[in-house]
Formats: sequence, C-alpha cells, structure tokens
Amino acid sequence: MKKQVLKIPFILFILTLIIFFYLLVIDRNPSKIPSALLNNSIPKFETDSLLKNKKFYSPEEFGNEIIIVNFFATWCKPCRDEHAYIKKFSSEKKIKVIGINYKDNPEKARDWLKKLGNPYSSIAIDKKGKIAIDWGVYGIPETFIVNSNGIIKYRHVGAITKSIYKKLNLIIIENN
Amino acid sequence: MDKKIIITLIISLVLINFDKVRALQPDEILKNQQQEQRAREISKIIRCMVCQNQSIDDSNAPLARDLRILIREKIKQGEKNKEIYKFLTDRYGDFILLKPPLKLSTLVLWFSPFLFFILGIFVLLNHNKKSKKFI
Repeated sequence: MKKQVLKIPFILFILTLIIFFYLLVIDRNPSKIPSALLNNSIPKFETDSLLKNKKFYSPEEFGNEIIIVNFFATWCKPCRDEHAYIKKFSSEKKIKVIGINYKDNPEKARDWLKKLGNPYSSIAIDKKGKIAIDWGVYGIPETFIVNSNGIIKYRHVGAITKSIYKKLNLIIIENN
Repeated sequence: MDKKIIITLIISLVLINFDKVRALQPDEILKNQQQEQRAREISKIIRCMVCQNQSIDDSNAPLARDLRILIREKIKQGEKNKEIYKFLTDRYGDFILLKPPLKLSTLVLWFSPFLFFILGIFVLLNHNKKSKKFI
C-alpha cells in the first residue's frame, strides 16, 4: 500500500507531461479566445451608415436570415487579404454580409470599397470602437456568424483564409 | 561598483517606470481624484485582450485605452465596480479578469496547488517513516 502511495507523484508527473505535450501538438492558438457572446443575441446598436443617407439601426438591418458580420478597416492589412473571401460569401453563397467599419476614415473606406468591390449589404460606422467592445472584439478583422434568430453562433478572429472559408461555410450550412 | 553600471541601472529603472506612466494619457485622467483612483484600481486587474499578459493600466494598445476611457465614463455615470466587471465579462468572458473568479469551472485551478501540497506532505511523511525503519 505504502509503495503504491509513493507512485502517485510519479504518475501525476507523467500525466502532466502527457497533457503538456498534447496541448503543444494539437492545432490551437491559445491567444485566440472564444467569444463570450456565443449563443447570445447580437448587441443592439444605432450609428451612422457608411453608404446610406440614414442611420444604421441594428434591429432593422438584421433580418430573419443567416448573416455574416465582418469588422474591418482600410488601415488593416489582413482585412484587405480576406476581402476576396468576404466577396465570395455574398456573390457565390448569396449570404447577407453586414460590415462594421472600425475606427476608420469614411472617405477612405468608400474609396477602398469602390476599388476592391463592395460585398456588404450595409455598413455601420464604428468611429470610436464602442460597437466593437459591445461585440467583444479585440483584434480586427473579426467575423461573426449570426443565425436567423439573431443569435451569434461563431466568431473568427483574424483574416479569413481558404481553410477558414471552408470551415465558415460548414458552420453556415449547420445553422441554416 | 563601476560608475557605468550604476548609471545604466538608474537609466533602466527610470525607463521602466516611464513606460508604465506613459500608457495612461493625460486626457484620460479624471478630475475627481477618488474616481480616478477607482479607475486605476479597476484597470490594474483588467487584462489587455491584445497583449494578454498586461493589464489595461500598463498597456499602450488602442483597445486598452478605449477600455480605460469606457471604465472612467461608467464611473462618472455612477456605476459600481461590480457592474463594470459584469459589463466587461459579459463581452470578453472571465479571461478579461487577471484574477480568475472562484467558480465551479475554476475549482481545479484554485485548489490543485493545495491538493498537491497535501499530497507532497503525505508522500514525504511516508517516505520518512520508511527510512527510519532502516535506521
């Protein structure tokens, strides 16, 4: 019995090592934090619209369909990198994409969209970053998938790549 | 000690403190000293979500500044500390708190050091008894 007790620290040490190496090997980024808003309703907000001459009032803009919400800015290089995939969502997959222009110059943003193409059905201006805080955003670009009931089902931090695009499509199919 | 080393040490210490002071911009500071004190205390235990190993009080990240301003606005509006923490954790989760709260999900985190300590003493005592037998 006593001999077995002495084995406990050794077993715990081995277990710790296994857990450590497992976390090291699996594909994960510990700096990416899951959204606290997952499975919660989208935050309500009212702000200026980037492309329309009227206020952007979120309950009016978010209808009864699955929606992608994308936080972007012209000064953000990864936003430019992922723009082709955002366009694919709206043109190929026919999914409504709402943009939130984060701490940007509206003039520059309009020019940027003219040049690269506009995949957004409407764009809200987040001049001071307060809307982003309400959405728990900490590093743009960030992309959210909102289901037809206005519930946040997924959040991706960082640029959308080919593999992320595929993953997001699967999540959209699951929630459609 | 060599004069150069002493000067280098003094400059390094000054620079370290300078960096800490620099994060909080003069335009953010509240006129009411008590409210400012409260804001600093809260900011010191709120994690900067960008840097992740710094508090928003120490961080120069734009988001940290936004959160410092937001906390000060909420204090001015008369919100209590608990309400401010709730506002932040509702949006960023418990991760935004540098000190994780005691919850069912954090029990292991809080109590495993004590468990390991007790286990260590238990093993040590057993080992000592065994050694004495041989003496």
